Amino acid sequence: MFSVAIITCICLVSVVVSYIAFRRGFTRNADDYFVAGSSLGYFVLIFSLLASFLSAFSQFGMSSLGYRTGFGSIFVLTVNLVPLGFLWYFIHKKTFLLGRSRKWMSMGAPFGERYGNSMRVLVPIVVFIASIFYIVAQVQGIGLMLEAMSNEVISYHVGVFFIPLFIAVYLIMGGMKGAAWVNTIQGLFFSFMVILLFFVVMSQQGGFIPTMDAVYAKHPELFELGQKGGKVWSLPMIFGFAAAMSLGCVCFPQPYMHAYSSRTAKGLKAMFLSFGGICIIIITMPILVGIASTILVPGLSGVEADKVYGLIASEVLSEPLAALVVAGGFTAAMSTVNGMVFGNAMNMANDLYKLAKPDMLPREQIAVARVCVLVILIISIVIAWDPKTPVAELSVVAFGMVSVTLFPLLGAYFWKRATAFGAISATVIGAGLNVYFVLKGGSSMILMPQPAFFNLNGFLFAFIVTGIVFLVGCLITKPGTVEKESLPLFFHPSLSK
Amino acid sequence: MTQKNAKFKKNVYFVLFCVLTVFCWCPIGYGTYGPANRIFGMPDWAVITFIISIVFFILQWIYLFHTDLAIKDNELEEIFHQLSDLNRK
Repeated sequence: MFSVAIITCICLVSVVVSYIAFRRGFTRNADDYFVAGSSLGYFVLIFSLLASFLSAFSQFGMSSLGYRTGFGSIFVLTVNLVPLGFLWYFIHKKTFLLGRSRKWMSMGAPFGERYGNSMRVLVPIVVFIASIFYIVAQVQGIGLMLEAMSNEVISYHVGVFFIPLFIAVYLIMGGMKGAAWVNTIQGLFFSFMVILLFFVVMSQQGGFIPTMDAVYAKHPELFELGQKGGKVWSLPMIFGFAAAMSLGCVCFPQPYMHAYSSRTAKGLKAMFLSFGGICIIIITMPILVGIASTILVPGLSGVEADKVYGLIASEVLSEPLAALVVAGGFTAAMSTVNGMVFGNAMNMANDLYKLAKPDMLPREQIAVARVCVLVILIISIVIAWDPKTPVAELSVVAFGMVSVTLFPLLGAYFWKRATAFGAISATVIGAGLNVYFVLKGGSSMILMPQPAFFNLNGFLFAFIVTGIVFLVGCLITKPGTVEKESLPLFFHPSLSK
Repeated sequence: MTQKNAKFKKNVYFVLFCVLTVFCWCPIGYGTYGPANRIFGMPDWAVITFIISIVFFILQWIYLFHTDLAIKDNELEEIFHQLSDLNRK
């Protein structure tokens, strides 16, 4: 039960850190609670953004994917994220500058000012629907790992219920600053643990190259592109995964939250650049651990393979160290839940509730966000109660869906001709297609190349359709009053650098 | 640096970044289906991908921190001042 004690300690430390943020007055007004008073330095920003994205998926899911499918997994969440340095900077530079200037505190704010209130309402709803998949994936990972670590003494359902409760407590107390501090501590912890596990696993077979040689002798298919007659890691499949994950990262609430919270331009740039660089190390390692595990803990498949990270840790490390390593995976899952839940609560309080009640007091606004935190976590627990889909696939669906907001965002910042009609129709049709594909064909329809879609996967097909709808929708309508009035702000010469 | 020169440089970086993004998102041109040669125990296409992504990372670092093309802290005050003037109008 050493492992359970460690998890409990991590939860308590997180609550204490958040309590300190609360006691030091970092949640007194709306600006402090939602965007940490735009005061976060680059070290906290880097690790907070990293931890808010890297999750159960990055360790449990990616080691599972590496275990099941091999080296092609590096295109899902490692090398494909390096372009985010420039993608985030080019797109969210305006989020940072305009957000600081206009006191934005939510994702809907730029869409609302550029296209009007319909988009301000629509975007948080689409992001929430997409985020729920991702949050559920983290909660599932938490439940599975706790069950594996405790040798099934603690059931999946107990883990799924209690850990989100701790998360709710520290998010409700600490606001953005508390969440960022907790994320940073959790991010540093799980990064260190990933590195530790990687080196120990590789040392079991005499080093990295001998380990890969041993894997290659037994499973040469893990080193191939186009496995199983071109069905696994075909070029269209790789491109679909890579683009979905990267573009989803641009559109999730975390970059908005962190851009609003950044104190300096240097911090903003360092945060965006570091993310991809750190991912190459911190996520490649679980993939390689998963690949090495095919010879150390053979015979796992499907949802069972999601436990490989914990099982290999138990196989190669002493019990206390194994518990710490798996606890690292836990903290990763928790920090992502922090970021996603807080981001969505921020959107609901600032975009949906404030729109319905524009004259509400800051204290009321914070109270609404706190209630939203609780409600989102309860919904996640209910959905995660019955796990049916492997964690990795579930998360990619989320990234694919949220990326439909990319075209309206690009239009808002870079195309004067963009209209509310184009933005609304693109978002509704893009999100609708993703939901339809999931309902009709499950996650495989979103992820795997479909002959009916010119061999693109459902995500890419929906993404391209969204782009076309946006373009056509904007061209057949004329910018209205809101769009015209927003132009001097969104295209101000000072933003052009 | 003149404005025209800066715009040209920015466009060059942008095109370069887009090309490298495609290579980071798909091993097109350097990865083939079926058995692969191995370098350092890994398939050759994976090693090439890592090299491309490291080069890309360095280029982004140069763009963001060692050129005059990205925003800097000493410019923020002026930008916010101009934007707040607009807000007041």
